Amino acid sequence: MRIRRRDILAGMGAGAAAMAVPGGPALAQSRAETLRQVTGNTVNTLDPTMPGSTREAFGVSVNVYDRLVGFGRRQAGAGWVFDPDVIRGELAERVETSADGTTFTFHLRRDAKFHDGTPVTAEDVKWSFDRHVTARSLAAVQIQTGSWTKAEQFRVVDAHTFEAKVERPDRLALPNLCTLYCMIINSKVAKANATADDPWAQAWLKDNAAGSGAYRVESFKPGEQVILRRNDDWKAGPLPFFRRIINQTIPEAATRANLIERGDADLSIDLQASDVPSLAQRPRVKVVSTPQFNAFTMVAFNTRMAPFDNIKLRQAVAAALPYGDIFKAALFERGAAMFGADWSETPPTARFPQPMPMKTDLARARALMAEAGHPNGLDTTFSFNVGSAATSEPMAALVKESLARIGIRVEIQKLPDAQISTLVTEKKLPFLTETSIAWLPSTDYFFRNFFTGEQRWNYSSWNNAEINALTAKARFEQDAAEYERLCKRMIAVLAEEVPLILLWQPNQDAVMTQAIDGYTYQYHRQVDYRDLRRA
Amino acid sequence: MRGIAGRAGRRFVSSLPALFGVLVFTFLLMRVLPGDPAVFFASGPNAGQAEIEDIRRRMGLDKPVPEQLLLYLRDIGTGNLGRSMTTGQPVLNDLRNRLPASLELTFCALLIALVLAVPLGILAALRPGSVVDHGVRLLCTLGVCVPTFVSGLLLIYVLYYLLGIAPDPTGRIDIFASQPPEVTGFLLLDAAIAGEWEAWWAAASQLILPACTMALFVLAPLARMTRASMLAVLTSDFIRTGEALGLSRRRVILVYALRNALLPVITIMGIVFSTMLGANVLVEKVFSWPGVASYALDALLSSDYAPVQGFVLLMASIFVLVNLVVDLLYGLADPRVSIG
Repeated sequence: MRIRRRDILAGMGAGAAAMAVPGGPALAQSRAETLRQVTGNTVNTLDPTMPGSTREAFGVSVNVYDRLVGFGRRQAGAGWVFDPDVIRGELAERVETSADGTTFTFHLRRDAKFHDGTPVTAEDVKWSFDRHVTARSLAAVQIQTGSWTKAEQFRVVDAHTFEAKVERPDRLALPNLCTLYCMIINSKVAKANATADDPWAQAWLKDNAAGSGAYRVESFKPGEQVILRRNDDWKAGPLPFFRRIINQTIPEAATRANLIERGDADLSIDLQASDVPSLAQRPRVKVVSTPQFNAFTMVAFNTRMAPFDNIKLRQAVAAALPYGDIFKAALFERGAAMFGADWSETPPTARFPQPMPMKTDLARARALMAEAGHPNGLDTTFSFNVGSAATSEPMAALVKESLARIGIRVEIQKLPDAQISTLVTEKKLPFLTETSIAWLPSTDYFFRNFFTGEQRWNYSSWNNAEINALTAKARFEQDAAEYERLCKRMIAVLAEEVPLILLWQPNQDAVMTQAIDGYTYQYHRQVDYRDLRRA
Repeated sequence: MRGIAGRAGRRFVSSLPALFGVLVFTFLLMRVLPGDPAVFFASGPNAGQAEIEDIRRRMGLDKPVPEQLLLYLRDIGTGNLGRSMTTGQPVLNDLRNRLPASLELTFCALLIALVLAVPLGILAALRPGSVVDHGVRLLCTLGVCVPTFVSGLLLIYVLYYLLGIAPDPTGRIDIFASQPPEVTGFLLLDAAIAGEWEAWWAAASQLILPACTMALFVLAPLARMTRASMLAVLTSDFIRTGEALGLSRRRVILVYALRNALLPVITIMGIVFSTMLGANVLVEKVFSWPGVASYALDALLSSDYAPVQGFVLLMASIFVLVNLVVDLLYGLADPRVSIG
């Protein structure tokens, strides 16, 4: 067969015609009302309380389920951030808190309906909370930080009134109920799909949703995509703009960036930090950068293991790190610095994380090395996980180089995620870097989770009697001035003892097409589609 | 025909011990790897020892290893490959959903590679040392040298980002196009069965870039092998005889030479196919292709045992199957060969 030029041209014409067929006015209309988010991770469950749920699964569940209450939002810089100090109603029209701060009475919206059309009642709320405290799930461990531990704390008053009680007035009791684990499930549907082995329908709810949220699940393919459709009967807030949401998994960050630049996708919150500055220059792209004020990146020492059980040695390392250089090389300064503050003794505010008084001072570092009993230096390893290599690798190189100057010979250890979590839990790593986040950004909560106890989150395995006492007291402290005093003291002790060194709060760079408006940085660091609109 | 079926059956039975060995080996290997899945999946504040123990129990990791192995073998016997912690789905479902995507991609890539490699190999063999030969050698070297993620990203950059000819490289079908009803799982076949040619076109245009990327990578072994075995065959006596008898050059080359030269090419093809299926993880990642290889890699990174074991078992079975098919193809290419 001979191929002539005419045949090729004819073939190309046919191809072009075929490509032109889709895309009539109807499709263009629905495209404008569709939001396509691309992410490197996957949504692996519709039930966010399942152990192993991904962050993307959290994002979807926020939109599919409602909670009794939620956090408000406030303007910060050019964008919006969630506001942990404002609590607004979702399924609850209003909340009454008793004078002693132990009893919360929720008055439910009478017009709220689940996706199957049945009304949301106090029975459903009770069943949901019983599940959250009883079933083996992520919910139980989270909400116990707000003193929610047993089913007896929750009571149905009447069909639309629900009461929840704590023994002592816990500062985080109500904020915990705003978190996405406290979703309200359609108990009739869930019970119909429960089994004797699985009374809380955990297996069924992984793949099926039974909520009342602003969006219904249209299709769910773990590892590929989730498609949501707007619930037009939603009453718990103003109807969201987008009728359809596509949350698609695209593992390659460069591809995600291309899609947004060409306008084929609308939003991505997990692009590479190094790509963001150049993307921000493009005419069709908008970048909303928010320092993650409830997160922090740190360098942690194992305070229970030689050599870093030695406080002088930790102080020496803290004085030797080239903070500014690391910030520049690893993060391109895309975040809020948590070093270089000028205070000593008492911090200016009770907020945490806040900039700590850490500065590079090699002479002091060398003197501290001698005081620590290591005039000839020592050998150690510095570990980080493969997933964070983009920022941790340059950081590790600079840590190694700078510590060599005071005689600490560092071997860099890059570990797969599962392996590093095992080693951290077993408290076997001497020196590592991690980024962590707290959903409820209050100082005592940070200290309780990251600086006391035996859990993995206590990266430096710190066990300081004063801190233990302060956190236990602050949790139930109702007096604002006293609470502030306690928190400032905790921060001062942290600066003195350096169980870990705060480095920065990385920005969340939400990259979107020009027309997308209203993006809000949320505590769960995912997209709340209800906030967004297309201008 | 009966003879072939019998042979195939015997071959299959004789491969069972190997499969069993692979099964046990992977099982033990996964447990030797550092990284405790229970710890990895227990996250959140206060996720202490109790939560970790609970997950360990749920994953069946609290029992001694020999007992775990026996339970695992029993599960496999009943067709249960366990549940993936990463996707939350039964591994069997995941593999069933994803295997067609991988197979479709691999088949298309292999087809493209063969269509290019065999003629190129023949051309190079007909004029060894000529410009054509060197050109083919250069192309093959380039194909092997450039890693698939580089060539993939390059193709995306030029054809999608700069020129806008290719559709966005995100999975098997345009996200806004309608999916054809599922029959075989192969989108091209399903769309053809349903007669939805728009969907067929959407799927084919998504497929072409990743398939070309993979084809480029395996061009070299196929083309080089065709060239080498053609060279050997072309110097044989029967070719000279054919030419002396005045047969047309085309008939000599395509019928007598090529058929005899195909045996090693078929062998290589079998190996290339199996390798592609398991090793195309980079292509799958770059093109967001929902295949089995990227699934297994994700599971491996989070020490999720069941999917990795299921994947290895699947690959081993496919390898056995491919070898069987290759053996049968030998018989077609050269009736003198018979595999007992």
